[in-house]
Amino acid sequence: MKEVFLPGNLEELWRALEREPAPRPYCGGTDLLVHLRSGKTDPDALVCLERIPELSGVREEEGGLWIGAATTHARLLDDPLVRARLPLLARALSTLGSPPVRNMGTIGGNICTASPAGDTLPPLYALDGEVELRSRDSSRRMPLRRFITGPGETALRPDEILAGVRVTPDGTYNVHHFEKIGIRRAMACSIASLAALLRVSSSGEIEAARLAWGSVGPTVVVSGEAEQALLGKRLTRDVLEDAAERARKAVSPIDDVRASAAYRREVSGNLLLRLMEHRPL
Amino acid sequence: MKPSVPEIGRSLRRADGPSKVTGREKYAADHYGEGLLWAGVRRAGVPHGRILSVDTAEAAALPGVVAVLTGGDVPGTNRQGIVHKDQPVLCREKVRHFGDAVALVIAGDRETLAKAISLVRVRMEPLPGVFGVDDALAPGAPLVHEEWSGGNVLLRATIRNGEAEKALEACPVIVEETFEVPPQAHAFLETENGVAWQEEDGTVVLVVSTQAPFRDKWEVSHALGLPWDGIRVVGPVLGGGFGGKDGATVQCLLALAALHAGGRRVKMWWDREENFLAGYKRHGARLHYRLGAREDGTLHALHCRLFYDTGAYAHLGGEVMALGMEHAGGPYRIPHTLIEGWCVYTNHPVAGAMRGFGVAQVSFAAERMMDLLAGKLGMDPLELRKRNALRQGDRNCAGVTLTASTGILECLERIGGHPLWTGRETWKGQAGPFKKRGVGLAAVWNAMGYGRGLPDSALAKIELTPEGRLRLYSGVSDMGQGNATAFVQIAGHILSQEDETIELIQPDTARTLPSGSSAAGRTTYTYGNALIPACEELRRRIVGRAALMLLVDTLDDLELLPGRVRHPASGREVPLSVLAATMTEHERICISQFLMPVVREVPGTGKEFRIGFPHLFFAHAAHLARIEVDELTGTIEVKDWLAATEAGRVLNPQGFEQQVQGAVAQGIGYGTLEEVKLREGRILTPDFAAYILPGSLDVPEIISLVEEVEEPTGPYGMKGVGEVGANGPLPAIANALADGCGISMTRAPLTAERVLEALRRKGTPGAGETS
Repeated sequence: MKEVFLPGNLEELWRALEREPAPRPYCGGTDLLVHLRSGKTDPDALVCLERIPELSGVREEEGGLWIGAATTHARLLDDPLVRARLPLLARALSTLGSPPVRNMGTIGGNICTASPAGDTLPPLYALDGEVELRSRDSSRRMPLRRFITGPGETALRPDEILAGVRVTPDGTYNVHHFEKIGIRRAMACSIASLAALLRVSSSGEIEAARLAWGSVGPTVVVSGEAEQALLGKRLTRDVLEDAAERARKAVSPIDDVRASAAYRREVSGNLLLRLMEHRPL
Repeated sequence: MKPSVPEIGRSLRRADGPSKVTGREKYAADHYGEGLLWAGVRRAGVPHGRILSVDTAEAAALPGVVAVLTGGDVPGTNRQGIVHKDQPVLCREKVRHFGDAVALVIAGDRETLAKAISLVRVRMEPLPGVFGVDDALAPGAPLVHEEWSGGNVLLRATIRNGEAEKALEACPVIVEETFEVPPQAHAFLETENGVAWQEEDGTVVLVVSTQAPFRDKWEVSHALGLPWDGIRVVGPVLGGGFGGKDGATVQCLLALAALHAGGRRVKMWWDREENFLAGYKRHGARLHYRLGAREDGTLHALHCRLFYDTGAYAHLGGEVMALGMEHAGGPYRIPHTLIEGWCVYTNHPVAGAMRGFGVAQVSFAAERMMDLLAGKLGMDPLELRKRNALRQGDRNCAGVTLTASTGILECLERIGGHPLWTGRETWKGQAGPFKKRGVGLAAVWNAMGYGRGLPDSALAKIELTPEGRLRLYSGVSDMGQGNATAFVQIAGHILSQEDETIELIQPDTARTLPSGSSAAGRTTYTYGNALIPACEELRRRIVGRAALMLLVDTLDDLELLPGRVRHPASGREVPLSVLAATMTEHERICISQFLMPVVREVPGTGKEFRIGFPHLFFAHAAHLARIEVDELTGTIEVKDWLAATEAGRVLNPQGFEQQVQGAVAQGIGYGTLEEVKLREGRILTPDFAAYILPGSLDVPEIISLVEEVEEPTGPYGMKGVGEVGANGPLPAIANALADGCGISMTRAPLTAERVLEALRRKGTPGAGETS
């Protein structure tokens, strides 16, 4: 039996976190419970962040959106603000797990698990998401790209929790593209994924590009080289092939039971070719 | 559907439907009991090793532990196996696969059990492993079973008809290829489990999730040296089986635990990881084919060399391979065949029975060969199949003259006339950017019954209870396939009683009669054939008794109706409740046996098969797959499915369709996703996060066409339909890939990665349009 704390507000949370040894925070538990069962992780006690109202919900703030860490994927998918302003994230969320997993799992959990296969991460990287970290005495912000330091590793301090993520969408992007390759068509862990934001002018010129790949490196992979290769060009096969070749150089995938590194490298580039479908008519 | 007197040929509500959807139906896993103990197994954890010592002291000393048993504690032969008794209940000298059982622990609760299992200290000297067919057959290979006279070859067999080698030389067109298929997991929902206890008179009772309760008695008796009549096996409905519960799983372990539990109930329930580790699998295989034809497409000669990896123990390995060999040529006339088989021991998980028993493997090869041949001849693949399709009276690839119903040609014709086939070129032309569409066929068959050498028998029992209701004693398990519903349908139909009023007793060796295993597509055929005369006899007795009571002197003047017998001329009736009360037990119970007919003219080949060869009856099917391939990722999307199936006449259209649908879904998994991956004997796909089954989005709408060809020996003309559909998807999808993308895949499953690699090698330009 394990002790599980269920704080109903931040004060109760801070008190729980001050215990020795500190209980391990979790939110959703769709990853943690699997590891508890297998014995891969075995903390003495847990503290659940799901019942703290301050950590949930979506609101407009500073021209962007603030998303509480404890907000479930299902709730985000239903949220009109997310659907209207963050279609890239919404698309990724719709491929995440299954309805039961989306009902339990949270965006904060997905971020703190820091798996390269986390489905919300490539869109949040492409959108330049910023995390908000809080402890009893402090509050700080940090770009998501800096927060995640390695597979399963973050810059979270022991006394801190992830309170939320802030995204300021640039409304001028007019292509929002997300694709995930899994072994089956739903309820599948990502083999490779691509999140892409493009601003394509009415004449077909790419004016801005943000690209992020999941599952093809220790953390989400971004490639300024591949982005650069698109700027000022059109969404033609040759242009995308060129960017694809750069992407294949930028990624550093591994072999695992789902796919080989070679396959992941190949499709990391191939996925860019799908952007041809977004050419202005 | 309302309660009704069942009719043959009309859909009937599943007999187990209401009880299952309301949760009332008790599976083996739902059985607990007062003062329940838990039993669990310490597994080998190495693929091959000599046991130096098993120290149980620490585990036994843990509070709450009742007993810790090792190989030395097993009375009897300590050997299990359906044909070959080569599998220890608990290993004594060595272990032969990762999941081999080394010690059995009994404890008061599951936490203590898990702890105690981890405290069993096993010292093992690792032995070099045998990890596949090549390892097994290499000169000087380590031996999996040192005492076995055949080295690592469990069975080497040959089917020879005519002069294949010479005939191949004379063929103007020859195709040759080697195929590989991986082990597949049954992935039933209800993992292996049971509850056992010893009664005061010494009887050991097992309630277990099993496809063969009567055979289990023999297994337990033999392995543990218990008197055969001192064992009772109760077999409730199963939460899936697919062949994986045909053979000992928990049975002998549980019976052994019961002997050490002082009369308390002991439960063993493998979790999913243990199911993957220790449960049976479909055989992985390598299949080498050479097929020759005349210029007009007439098949002339076939030479195959088939290698089946049976893993650490025989289970039904030899019989699985035998059935594969019997079907190796597909449902076609081939005058000259040489089919060679090697079934080998390795240090892999134990392979055994699974839906499509050896045939799913060869169907991939045989049907790819047909398309390769069609390509070489420039012939339409459907025409090539129709030209060579077996008809009644033909000799099949095993040299058996087909005397029973044979409907493969009719199935192919149904496919050929369907818009999904005739409209295929238009459909293929409508693929979007980066997509390629292909359409593939497969013609498949699957034998029914045990085959020669093992009597395929059932004993049916039907009772009119003293209260005047029907009670049906099924001796053969229902693992979800719906045979129990068919039994209710037959009894209700003959005895004119509403389906809901018929009480169904599931297999119980103390109450029902030996009726064989739930396997081999034989369940409804054999038991149904036994049930019909039993029900007809009971009907005569009921009406005869009514005649006495109503003073009517000809039986023809009486009508048997739900709950009563009526004399229409006078309007007088006698309720069954009144009638039954006047009958003795001997009068109220009818029993009848049926033995499946067998091939009379056994071909003079395949002499190495002791049992299970050849077969008299076959179900047939033609499948059509329409797929779309993504050229950027290699992903296959199965868009449409058409299955035309011939399995005699249909008793229950809904049940028939469910079997087709389930088999196609499982076959799509086998074709595109499922693979038990192994590295040096260790399973790399140990759970459902890594072993990927198809979901609802991976299975398209399946159109099932029924081609009824009466089988005169079948109950109401039927044959078993459960297995044949599983053989079609892999080859149909592979053929669709070849059609759409021009790639010839030889390794299953057809994963996106393998497809993309094949596309890359072929140098496909990629995009479906220009930039």
